[in-house]
Amino acid sequence: MRHAFRAMGTEIQLHLRSKPAAGKLLAAAANEFHRLEALLSRFLPSSELARLNRDGELVAGPDLLAVVDAALAARELTAGRFDPTVHDALVAAGYDRSFELVPAGGGVPVLVGSACGGGVELDRAAARIRLDPGVRLDLGGIAKGYAVDRALGILGSAGPALVDAGGDIAVTGMPWHVGVDTSDGTFTLELSDGAVATSGRDRRRWAGDDGERHHLIDPSTGRPAEGELLRVTAVAATALDAEVLAKALFLAGDLEAAAAEADALGIPVVLVSLDGRTVLAGGMS
Amino acid sequence: MTSHVARLYALALSILGLFVAWAGIAAQPWGAAEPPAVSAAHDQTAAALAEYGKRLRRDARLVHRILARRAEQPPPAAPAVRIVTAAPVATTRTS
Repeated sequence: MRHAFRAMGTEIQLHLRSKPAAGKLLAAAANEFHRLEALLSRFLPSSELARLNRDGELVAGPDLLAVVDAALAARELTAGRFDPTVHDALVAAGYDRSFELVPAGGGVPVLVGSACGGGVELDRAAARIRLDPGVRLDLGGIAKGYAVDRALGILGSAGPALVDAGGDIAVTGMPWHVGVDTSDGTFTLELSDGAVATSGRDRRRWAGDDGERHHLIDPSTGRPAEGELLRVTAVAATALDAEVLAKALFLAGDLEAAAAEADALGIPVVLVSLDGRTVLAGGMS
Repeated sequence: MTSHVARLYALALSILGLFVAWAGIAAQPWGAAEPPAVSAAHDQTAAALAEYGKRLRRDARLVHRILARRAEQPPPAAPAVRIVTAAPVATTRTS
């Protein structure tokens, strides 16, 4: 059975190869996406994340706590390439509203890089998150992966399942076929349990007064990342991990550096450069 | 006789003066005369140092927890994946 709907600013597809109670489980998985969007979106004023950004401190629910915890662990693991404190840099770049409302045709003022890397304190025992003055979080780079993993947990208990949230894909229960776009066309990966995510500057981009901008902020400059990569597809155990790794490798900047890092860390990746080269690395074959 | 009494009075007054001067010095009136602004600044510096020390201890505990967690949980291995010739059910793209 298949169920498609919109949430988190993108198209979601759920596949479940199981007859009994499939409808109920698909509905529960869809509800999980909507529930998490209501908690984790920076664009909804009533979300927990918006309240945290507004007040600087919050006693958070378990989901916001878990995602912020994962984001901080990712910041540490990637030496700051992945950073949830890019909120103000994204806003300065013009991504200050849900993406479909961002004007595509220009008019966004000249960009000034915003500082990233501010302090975030997490007290797990008290479920309290505290931001340093002036720090705000964007969880767009990780919340979707978290939601995909949660939905797969619901569906996977009943049988083979696939969850696709705008290209962040997680599968379980049987070999699933997932397409990857390259400059030479699309090829297919076979994956039984795990996830695939792609990060790049080929989508979620818009025009500013000083040229094209995109949503992948380099925390070291506070501006949209530059380099020779068009997009990176990474395979990992969970969608959350795949999202983080794809972004971190994209920020490596050039094809050879990203491939070397993927090989060293054993992360299967597909790298596509702006000039049309495609490289497989990290054990992808 | 009159001169002897006068000398006694003079001696008694000298001893009294000495005690008064001693008490005055022992009270350290110059310590109390410290400007209140300087004292307040010292208090603020001490409070800031105490807060900084508290933060350092908190950061140290956090680092220990992270290191302990990292030691306990090695990163999960990447799942097995291979390229096949088949039509995809879904296609990954920049999300």
